Amino acid sequence: MRWGLPALAALLLFYPFIFTGPFYWDIGVAFLLAAISASAWNIVGGYAGQVSVGHSMFFGVGAYTPLLFYHLWGLPPVAGVPAGMLVSLGLAVAIGMPTFRLRGHYFSMATIAVAELIRIFVGTWELVGAAIGLQGPAVGRAWWDLTFRSELPYYYIFLAALAVVLYTTFAVERSRFGYYLRAIKAGERAARSLGVPVRETKLKALMLSAIFTSLAGSLYSIKTGFIDPESGFGILVSVQMVIVAALGGAGALFGPLVGALILVPLQTATNTWFGGGGSGLTYILYGGIIVLLARFEPGGMHEWWQQRVTPFLARRKHAA
Amino acid sequence: MTKSSAMMAAAIAAAAALISAPPAQAAGTVKIGILWPLTGNAAAAGQASKAAAEVAAEIVNNKHPELGNLPLAATEGLPNQGGAKLELTFVDHQGNPSLAQQLATRLITQDAVHVLMGAYQSSCSFTATAVAERYGIPFMVGESAALNITGRGFKWVFRGTPIASDYAATYMRFFEDMKKQGKKIASIAVVNENTDYGTSVADSIEAAAKKNNIPVAIRIPYSASSTDVSAQVLQLKEKQPDVVIFISYTSDSILYMKTMKNLDYLPPMVIGDDTGFSDPSFIPAVADVAQGAMNRSAWDIGKPGSATSKINEMYKAKTGRDLDDTSARNMQSFFALADALSRAGSTEPEKIRDALTKTDLKPEQLMMGYNGVKFDETGQNILASTYLIQLKDKAYQLVWPDKAAAAKLDWPMKGWKQ
Amino acid sequence: MLLVQVIVGGLLLGAIYALFSSGLTLIWGMMNFINFAHGEFVMLGMYVALLVVVWLGGGPEAFGFAAAFALFVLGVVVYLSLIRHVMRGPMLAQILSTFGLALLLRYTAFWIFSANFVSLPQVSLSGTLNIAGILMPVPQLVAGVAAIALTFALHLLLTRTTVGSQLLAVAEDRNAAMLMGIRPDRMQALAWGLAAGSAGIAGALMAVSYPWSPSVGETFGLTAFVVVTLGGFGSVPGAMYAGLIIGLIQALSAYWFGPIYKDIVVYALFVALLWLRPQGLMGKA
Repeated sequence: MRWGLPALAALLLFYPFIFTGPFYWDIGVAFLLAAISASAWNIVGGYAGQVSVGHSMFFGVGAYTPLLFYHLWGLPPVAGVPAGMLVSLGLAVAIGMPTFRLRGHYFSMATIAVAELIRIFVGTWELVGAAIGLQGPAVGRAWWDLTFRSELPYYYIFLAALAVVLYTTFAVERSRFGYYLRAIKAGERAARSLGVPVRETKLKALMLSAIFTSLAGSLYSIKTGFIDPESGFGILVSVQMVIVAALGGAGALFGPLVGALILVPLQTATNTWFGGGGSGLTYILYGGIIVLLARFEPGGMHEWWQQRVTPFLARRKHAA
Repeated sequence: MTKSSAMMAAAIAAAAALISAPPAQAAGTVKIGILWPLTGNAAAAGQASKAAAEVAAEIVNNKHPELGNLPLAATEGLPNQGGAKLELTFVDHQGNPSLAQQLATRLITQDAVHVLMGAYQSSCSFTATAVAERYGIPFMVGESAALNITGRGFKWVFRGTPIASDYAATYMRFFEDMKKQGKKIASIAVVNENTDYGTSVADSIEAAAKKNNIPVAIRIPYSASSTDVSAQVLQLKEKQPDVVIFISYTSDSILYMKTMKNLDYLPPMVIGDDTGFSDPSFIPAVADVAQGAMNRSAWDIGKPGSATSKINEMYKAKTGRDLDDTSARNMQSFFALADALSRAGSTEPEKIRDALTKTDLKPEQLMMGYNGVKFDETGQNILASTYLIQLKDKAYQLVWPDKAAAAKLDWPMKGWKQ
Repeated sequence: MLLVQVIVGGLLLGAIYALFSSGLTLIWGMMNFINFAHGEFVMLGMYVALLVVVWLGGGPEAFGFAAAFALFVLGVVVYLSLIRHVMRGPMLAQILSTFGLALLLRYTAFWIFSANFVSLPQVSLSGTLNIAGILMPVPQLVAGVAAIALTFALHLLLTRTTVGSQLLAVAEDRNAAMLMGIRPDRMQALAWGLAAGSAGIAGALMAVSYPWSPSVGETFGLTAFVVVTLGGFGSVPGAMYAGLIIGLIQALSAYWFGPIYKDIVVYALFVALLWLRPQGLMGKA
């Protein structure tokens, strides 16, 4: 079992050289982006069990700020990344404090409402491009504009970001903070009675999640060079994060990674087979997968693996 | 828990990439990737333009000596490229600028097209052209009007059609003419859908109106996907402008006309800025309530037997309808592109681009009423122009400028009244 | 006078909001469960109406019933096959279930009907009434009145019939109801059927006057949430008043601030409600 992690790392590192060409690199980048955002969501949605379906608010903020820095002041988009994270942090605090009072469904609804509100508002705000959106430099002025023609540099930048998010999650998992999160997920009242600082913990989780989601948004807009209210704050952005994490296993470290591994190639396949109309089919599949997941295996692939495969492998080991 | 999920991840990773593989590629042709909205709010327009492009490709790829001076009509294929045929790849961006961007990238990197064309909605042209610029592939914008599409200092973007400021200037000249004829134009209203197209044209009109001392009573931006526009119509009713200019896509144009009838609001004149008002579904839907509505067009079918009339026949045979302005403008841009492709003598992007910059088509070589096709350093065709037309019965007729007019201008418009 | 016109228009649309929200509040009150696919039920009602009119040549009465019936069946099926199982599961599963359903329904509609906006061909109801200077298009007027009547009918069903009191009993106290011999499962399935059915009719009524595409479900769903939150979870009369109020607020916002802002005002109100008075006007605390 020990070869699992190094094998994965090696595969991710050398993927662009095993599967070469813009087509495969494009999939690789899409996969990494999905994995980063879903992992970011995982911190508060998976580990703490607070199902936010409005995480696009952080993604959008992170996506807009770099292009805004370029649009308003001509700075390289990268300069806007920390600002995006800061604003997302503030947003998390502003949103988290009132909404964490609400339970279950109400919390989810509140997150959707806030994200929608922001999306519509941004669509009317002239400064950030209103409904038209913002564009980054189409052709870079220097290397720090990060406008590469090839996907390769983006791949490694994104990979580094993913490593950071996963490592942070790993550290959280093993810390007291992680213990608190699990306790809250298992039962808030019980956790509170055990002395867990529930409100503070939830808020911290949201803040951490917001920073990384913002990063994901920034990476997206720097790479694509375009953002508008729909691609930044749209509900599909939020839903994609949730489903990728849930499919692989919300609350598991590599859950989001697995979810992305399944969904991104699947999405590419449906888009390629059906040409322009394929994007519709993709979402039908998404919907179907989510429903089946909710109905039969809410714990995702991770749960399935734990329940079926691990005991099977353990039995075989004993038999040998 | 960590280890087992890592192992699972590794196992799935190996299998994942095998699901998808890049599609095969044809050889020996010149490939044009075309991005249009084939579904969504502007689908009818996208489909109409698609048919027009197919007719144009047919004309270029086969011998059509009956079409006279039209470039490449008499020959088969592209003469300077060894008779290479044009191959069109259509994609549907559904009016979504992000999707347009993704599809443009896909067309370039996976389908290996030699040039791109599109994209109807200015917001989609805006994003798709940026992709072309980054990859160094020529992009011909056939019909989008927003100023900033050719205003970004891009090298690879060319536009065959007039732009927002051209239209605004046309409207102002029209108003001047009307005032000379004694019509009252004390104020106008501008109602625009709020993406790149509507905002751009509305901005141009407001600026031009200011220069010409025509007050804008109210400007109403709205979302093209609104289901209910009663509040907007009531705002107009309150302000009582003499002319209302609509910069709308299809379903919103139709919705406005119907809502105006419902709320009994008929301004002296309505001008539609092409697009929704030229959509094939507009006239059938609202002909009975929008009599006398004006529109702009650079296309005129012309006398029977003329080249334009023959082209219209070909189009009609394919779709059952006459060619509309938007599709015609696309077709013209397509011909300009094909002409450049032929002169390039090669499929190398730089050579194609060079040929495009040297384009110089004369009015008698065109199907549109432009003064020619010649691109300036921003890629804009500086010889493009437009007429104004009016809805009479079930068709638009050319009513302005006077020297080209085929029918008399009715002012005020009749709307639904007899 | 124009202001009165705006108000009337807002109320007529609000009546339809009331109708489709009343079903949502019923489910919410009974099962503490939020249906994220509710807007899609409305959207499907619109398409059923289209199919009946275009394919079968049916008239106004026919498509209303067809939409109600088809959606009723869908609601029951959804409950039995999906909701019943996830209700007792983890929160993530509950939320994902109807979310996934929403995506499934919406994009299947995109696939079948394409993204083009459609509208019903002119049916028998047309023309505009002029009452004291207020213009009321007949289709909107009929739809609004019908919506209020149906919402009221639902309220009567719940409060005056045996079935209704059984539904309310399950909402109030599930275990006690079971002890009384009421089968909660059956009642909940019925509630889902009623909710979906009323959403379907609301859609059919709207289809008469407004164009739509599969994307409208998202907006209607959120509108329903706002109405239900304002009116109070579980209260059908609350949904009725709240629906009218929201329709009014929307119309006034569009008129005073501009059409772009009307949704912002409604969602801002929603967020404020969630934080300040989640139980709404008439709901239980």
